[in-house]
Amino acid sequence: MKCDRCNKAATIHLTEKNKNGDIAALHLCENCAVEAGYMQKTHISVTDMLTNLIEGQSKAAQSDVQACPECGLSWREFKDTGLLGCPGDYDHFSQQLRGVIESAQNGATHHTGKAPAQNESSAANSIRLRESRIAKLRQQLAKAVEKESYEEAARLRDEIATLEKPAR
Amino acid sequence: MDISDMIEGNGEWLAGSGPRSDIVISSRVRLARNVAGYPFMSKANRAQRNDLHQKCRDKLLELSGEWNLSYVDIDKADEVDRQILVERHLISKQHACGEGSRGAALSPDEGLSVMINEEDHLRLQVLRSGVQLKECWRVADALDTSLQQRLDFSYSPKFGYLTACPTNVGTGMRVSVMMHLPALKITGDIEKIFRAAKDMHLAIRGLFGEGTEAVGDFYQISNQTTLGRSEDEILSEFNDEIIPRLVTAELNARTILEQERPLTLDDRIGRAIGILQNARLLSTEETLFFLSHLRLGVAMKRVAGLDIHTVNLLFLKTQPAHLQRMLGKAVEGDMRKAARAEFIRQNLKPKK
Repeated sequence: MKCDRCNKAATIHLTEKNKNGDIAALHLCENCAVEAGYMQKTHISVTDMLTNLIEGQSKAAQSDVQACPECGLSWREFKDTGLLGCPGDYDHFSQQLRGVIESAQNGATHHTGKAPAQNESSAANSIRLRESRIAKLRQQLAKAVEKESYEEAARLRDEIATLEKPAR
Repeated sequence: MDISDMIEGNGEWLAGSGPRSDIVISSRVRLARNVAGYPFMSKANRAQRNDLHQKCRDKLLELSGEWNLSYVDIDKADEVDRQILVERHLISKQHACGEGSRGAALSPDEGLSVMINEEDHLRLQVLRSGVQLKECWRVADALDTSLQQRLDFSYSPKFGYLTACPTNVGTGMRVSVMMHLPALKITGDIEKIFRAAKDMHLAIRGLFGEGTEAVGDFYQISNQTTLGRSEDEILSEFNDEIIPRLVTAELNARTILEQERPLTLDDRIGRAIGILQNARLLSTEETLFFLSHLRLGVAMKRVAGLDIHTVNLLFLKTQPAHLQRMLGKAVEGDMRKAARAEFIRQNLKPKK
């Protein structure tokens, strides 16, 4: 459900009696609820925290990135909602998301924990994902070299090397 | 399944039967999963949404024998029924108020629920009374593994389980404990606890999850990060550090009140009982506030003739949807406040 005042997700739901005694339902996001004086800000919600993080990240002139070819999500849309449109966005916006994820996840960059069982289809799936990721990184590497951003290139080279190591 | 039948009992999260349930109301483990080959919810069109709903429901129903699950079509459910599920912590407010094709699979003991088409395609949740996080994880992990034999989930070796919001990526696991910390509130030490929790990258929320305030001294404490640590590491931190520390802090605060400020303590409890036994109009917030102090009095054995189970039941049954279902009709405003006050007076009659 959307907030009555802006387009964010509504998390505060109120029923109010107006002057004529009619009952009206209000659906607001936390920000608008605070603004309208229905509640006091007591804590920073995860969405707010994320929005702030994204704001910070995108100052580095990243807003010119193209929308995702798979789902059509633009970086601006993500900034507004904090929600990605498809699994492919993790690849497509990998540059922009890197800082967002690191800040939201206390500096973590890699998953450790439960992984899908390596049955045939999911093994094939994960190889496919890895291969497309490597191909993407190679493109980025070529671009970085072209722009003479050697620091970036070295990082990409290391990431490719890690991915190319045979899986344990 | 008939949701009206549910409202008689305490459900799992307010059962009051688990270890340390005087302070730790309930433990919860939630896993976020998305079916591979589909966009996330915000970019799913109506056909994809219906498709996902059907697919997830069918796979869950295949498991219904083994897992004893019943299915509720949330989009078609009555509004009061949806709210009852929210009040019983079986679905989120967002899921109840959302739009479009969506559902929930529930176990009759209310220990397990799966939301379909919430923020992620699937949200698996296991709830237990008291401190039982390891048990919650054991069950959630087993159900997740069974589902993975039937559905491919979006997963990347680098980022783990891919979720709509990057704050859930990795394990997709949110661990939370609902704690009742009234003594820390009275002594004012709760602020210190909040600061310590922030340093430990924990999120603190109110009774009904994200965006809700902590009313009635109930605090839901959960991990903020889901990437870079395994499920076991996250669970161990809760079991070995966070929960024992918070429980000790609350117990210390109770001892301090008992020894140094017994008048304050008994005054708060006495006022709560006085109002609950005599008020004719009670709002939800007021009720939570006074029931919280009553609950503290019962837990500290300063109130005779009442047990925690009964107080827990009052918390649940005075919520708006439960109240309306009990009355058998929709009531608003003062009528609702009056019905709530009446119900509480019936259940808290003064001892002759």
